[in-house]
Amino acid sequence: MAPAGVPDALEALGAESSVVLAGGTSIGLLLGQALIEPSTLVWLGRIPSLREVAVEDDRIRIGATVTVRELARHPVVRSRLPAVATAAGSVGNPRIRAVATVGGALGHADPRQDLPPALAASGATVEIAGPGGTRRVDVARLATGLMETVVAPDELITGVDIPLPEAARGVYLRFTPASAADWPTVSAAAVSRRGPDGIVTDVSLALGGVGPTVLTVPEAGELKGSVAPSEEDIRAVADAAGRRCDPVADRLGSAAYKRAMAAVWARRALQACLEGAGRS
Amino acid sequence: MTVEPALDARLAPRPDAAAKASGATLYAADLPAPEGLLEVVLVRSPHPRARVVRVSTAEAVAAPGVAAVVTAGDLPDALAGRRVRDMPLLARDVVRFSGEPVAAVLAGTRREAESAAALVEVDYDELPPVLGAERALEGRPGTVHDAPWEYPGAVAGEDAGPNVQSVVAEGDRAGVAEALGRAAHAVSAVYRTPSGQHGYLEPHAWVAVPLAGGRRLRLWGTTKSPYRLRDQIVACLGLDAGAVEIEPVPLGGDFGGKGDVVDASLCAALARHTGRPVRLLLRSAEDLAATDARHPSVIAVRLGCDGSGRFVGLEVDAVFDGGAYAAAKPIPSVNLHGALECALGYRFPVFSLRSRVAYTNTLPKGHMRAPGAPQVVFAVESAVDELAAAGGFEPADLRRRNLLHDGDADAYGHRWPEARGIQTLDAALAAAADAGDGSLAAVGTGVVGTGVAVYARPTPLPQSTSLQLGRLPDGRLEVAVPIPETGTGNHAVVQVQLASALGVAPDTVVVRQVSTGSLPRDPGVGGSRVTVGMSAAVARLAEAWREGGGQGTVSVEVPAGSGAPALAYCAQVARVAVDPETGELRVLAVVTAVDVADIVRPRSHQLQIDGGTVMGFGFASMEDLLEDEGQVWASNLGEFRIPSAADVPALRTVLVTGGRGVGEANVKSVGELANVPTAAAIANAVFDATGVRIRTLPVTAEHLWSALQERAAAAAGAGSLP
Amino acid sequence: MRLRFTLNGEPQELDASPTASLTEVLRSLGLTGTKEGCRIGVCGLCTVLVDDLPVSSCLFLAPCAEGRQVWTVEGLARRDPAVVAAFVEHEGMQCGICTPGQVVMASAARSELGAGAAEAEIREYLIGNLCRCTGYQSIVMALGSVVAG
Repeated sequence: MAPAGVPDALEALGAESSVVLAGGTSIGLLLGQALIEPSTLVWLGRIPSLREVAVEDDRIRIGATVTVRELARHPVVRSRLPAVATAAGSVGNPRIRAVATVGGALGHADPRQDLPPALAASGATVEIAGPGGTRRVDVARLATGLMETVVAPDELITGVDIPLPEAARGVYLRFTPASAADWPTVSAAAVSRRGPDGIVTDVSLALGGVGPTVLTVPEAGELKGSVAPSEEDIRAVADAAGRRCDPVADRLGSAAYKRAMAAVWARRALQACLEGAGRS
Repeated sequence: MTVEPALDARLAPRPDAAAKASGATLYAADLPAPEGLLEVVLVRSPHPRARVVRVSTAEAVAAPGVAAVVTAGDLPDALAGRRVRDMPLLARDVVRFSGEPVAAVLAGTRREAESAAALVEVDYDELPPVLGAERALEGRPGTVHDAPWEYPGAVAGEDAGPNVQSVVAEGDRAGVAEALGRAAHAVSAVYRTPSGQHGYLEPHAWVAVPLAGGRRLRLWGTTKSPYRLRDQIVACLGLDAGAVEIEPVPLGGDFGGKGDVVDASLCAALARHTGRPVRLLLRSAEDLAATDARHPSVIAVRLGCDGSGRFVGLEVDAVFDGGAYAAAKPIPSVNLHGALECALGYRFPVFSLRSRVAYTNTLPKGHMRAPGAPQVVFAVESAVDELAAAGGFEPADLRRRNLLHDGDADAYGHRWPEARGIQTLDAALAAAADAGDGSLAAVGTGVVGTGVAVYARPTPLPQSTSLQLGRLPDGRLEVAVPIPETGTGNHAVVQVQLASALGVAPDTVVVRQVSTGSLPRDPGVGGSRVTVGMSAAVARLAEAWREGGGQGTVSVEVPAGSGAPALAYCAQVARVAVDPETGELRVLAVVTAVDVADIVRPRSHQLQIDGGTVMGFGFASMEDLLEDEGQVWASNLGEFRIPSAADVPALRTVLVTGGRGVGEANVKSVGELANVPTAAAIANAVFDATGVRIRTLPVTAEHLWSALQERAAAAAGAGSLP
Repeated sequence: MRLRFTLNGEPQELDASPTASLTEVLRSLGLTGTKEGCRIGVCGLCTVLVDDLPVSSCLFLAPCAEGRQVWTVEGLARRDPAVVAAFVEHEGMQCGICTPGQVVMASAARSELGAGAAEAEIREYLIGNLCRCTGYQSIVMALGSVVAG
């Protein structure tokens, strides 16, 4: 069914074993492999409000059914949120990006995905509508486990809200040593902000592929306070990232290797987003 | 007579190109469904080895749209295979690999058949699987088949030991040991390669239509050898010789994987059983995890040279994991001829080879593009580099000292009038050194290195085949060929050859595959023999056509060719960059030099080289079915990664022209050359870059990173010694 | 359920299962240039255009095509014969099973990539269109000539 507004969609989701369908990438995969047998598919493609991108002075709100392609190409995202733009431009392939939606990507909660680390490092919050109203959750806290989120069956992700700080610099790096078309073995997003004097005022770091959910590294905040954080301090944060992560062994690598790579790519991401010290 | 194709014919567009690019070409899965068609979905074993206790079909039979649920008991007690008939159409009493079909569900639509297949309940009594070829050959923990030597066509006797599909032993093992004992430098190492898939993107598809109450059958499907398949189905099902006709269909990729006989025979049996047309369309994931794959290998190499770098002896002891059935292997030895040809390119005073193929409870293995050669050449060409390092030789120079010269004998004692290994190697090195062309000038981050490897392969003599030529109502000529267009451009090659022989424009020649009922014989596509084989037949056909005054219809049957095969060399130089912090390997460029005679159709020739090199690159760097514990873990194209457009290195080809080829077209075959030496060239480049010797494929980042870590730790440890 | 969309420029109305993929629907209409490949969106054999953007029809649920413009390789070959011609000229194919998907991508690449696209961009663009035969060089050349116009 194709509700025309969020309230109708929420009502439909109240029914037993109904499933939200946006772009269809995840649902198409799950249906194709007979992993789900929903009684009702609630398609969000007819809800105009979910397709909107709203830019304010200090934030951008991305509707849940905005596609990953649109996100990657949005001029404000490209200029102010380069980590998000890079991550969005790395998702799957052009066909996936054309249909996969921001809300769908977050709801799917596969820890190997590109978008969540970039959004988490950018301080994004997810807007979730439910029978009792709308609530907001940090992207970093959305997933509770492998393909599990805090979103209840009768709730709906309606959008993502991302701050647009001044003088921010962001990078997203994905490590795909065998094929660029593959899931990343690990991925790292880092965002730094600087004051008018060039002093780093905040650094955030989030990693993908190294645990059941996106991993944020609070130690990254310790890099603030100087114009050029030292190599030693950056390594200390990267090492903390390696210690914090809880990867599973799979064909992309052993847990020990992923942990080591988490530290390497965390460091590289931090270095890339902190280089050019003194320039804003 | 030598036919030299006119230049315009050689450069004409492929006759099938526009139809393929516009989506008009019908592959097996695209053919219109015959009236009354039943779709087949197979219920497959999840266990690598088990007794089938009971198959409960009642619920599936009652499901919507289901016409029948067939188990082994419903079908003739038949065994299928290309040389050895050892595989049942559906598992009978035991399953021998995870993915083996146990029941077939036939329904009006594929969705109905799939839904019903989930309702078939099979009770298994699991048995400990026989895993790992080396353990299997010791008979541990049991035998995959009770008495494999009793299968029709079996080549290994009861005395061969447990779980043997095939053993080939050549040469003088004691002599090699003695020679290596005297060698100035010697190396001994073991190399390992994983199982992989052909990676064609068209899954197997079969349509079988019963005629005359099931006494005759027509089949459309994914086969590269229609005439042999017809004979194999007839033998499997005990039918009359004329009972089966295989209809023409182009293939969506082959690489050795479209020679299967089991699924086609099963469809034939199901069509007879139900009296209705049946269609089996494998899903891509099913095709990857349940149809014949490349043999994993464990290859021990011992190689030595004297003080001046002349090889004194080579020993190769290869163990291949053949999987649960040998049915997919097509050659009389039921072995891998690429393995047997591993030492053709060099002078070895003494040589010994043993190639053993074991039965295990894994996916059956078959032939894939130069079967055995990518594995064994990876081993031997890596060992040559290891010997160079041990003896202080420059790797290319060590090869140059040992490559055959014109008139030299190979390790088997066969003399090759022409052996252009040195020229081919030098051409590759010269192109690689040519900084001006930029192909190898690419510098990556991290440490860079260059590696080389060489492969020599015989171009075979033509086998017996047949063709027919007539004129279409619109005045064009139509040549009926027995082979499908597998993708290599073989129909275009026939077009070029015939147009040239008759002195007509290529677009006035239509090439059409015909059914097995229309021509007498053909060996099928394989062994890099098509261009040679077709050239002999085309020359004969053109002659007959002219003799007949260009009227009516003429048919020719050509016998197997006589004369001498030719040796074709391929040398590759790979340049790589390794990120020492992560172990990431980037192959920056591969230069391929190919030893050629005349080239019938340059575009097709080049694409075989490019596609082959990229396949070799994939084998080296990423492809792995991840078979473990009797399961295929990389069972879809997202997990079993083949190279994408963004992954491939810069490719450069150098043709070493002027060689003497085989047959009327004076050609050397090319389809199974460029995919073979690539892995060794890359592994040798990794050694050049890092000092780490890779002996296991694929070269994963973690593998390389671990080796680099160990070396760094060892160096640190050594440094701390008092 | 009833489904209405524009197919290769013509209005189309048919009954489709709510969980049918667009691949299934198109192939049932005899448009077999759209192939069934990996079924997980990574191989590109089933590529079609929906509202001028390439999508994996295997993952695209048919009901989501309601009211939209769908172009398959068959329609694009008629609408845009220069793309087919580029693949013929550069011989961007061997077995041809991936070629319809590559052709659909090429047709969309004109607007998605633009005339100045670098080879690396073209290769990235084709990252989800596998080819096992050619080694990609001739496909990249064909696509390059299409975007260059």
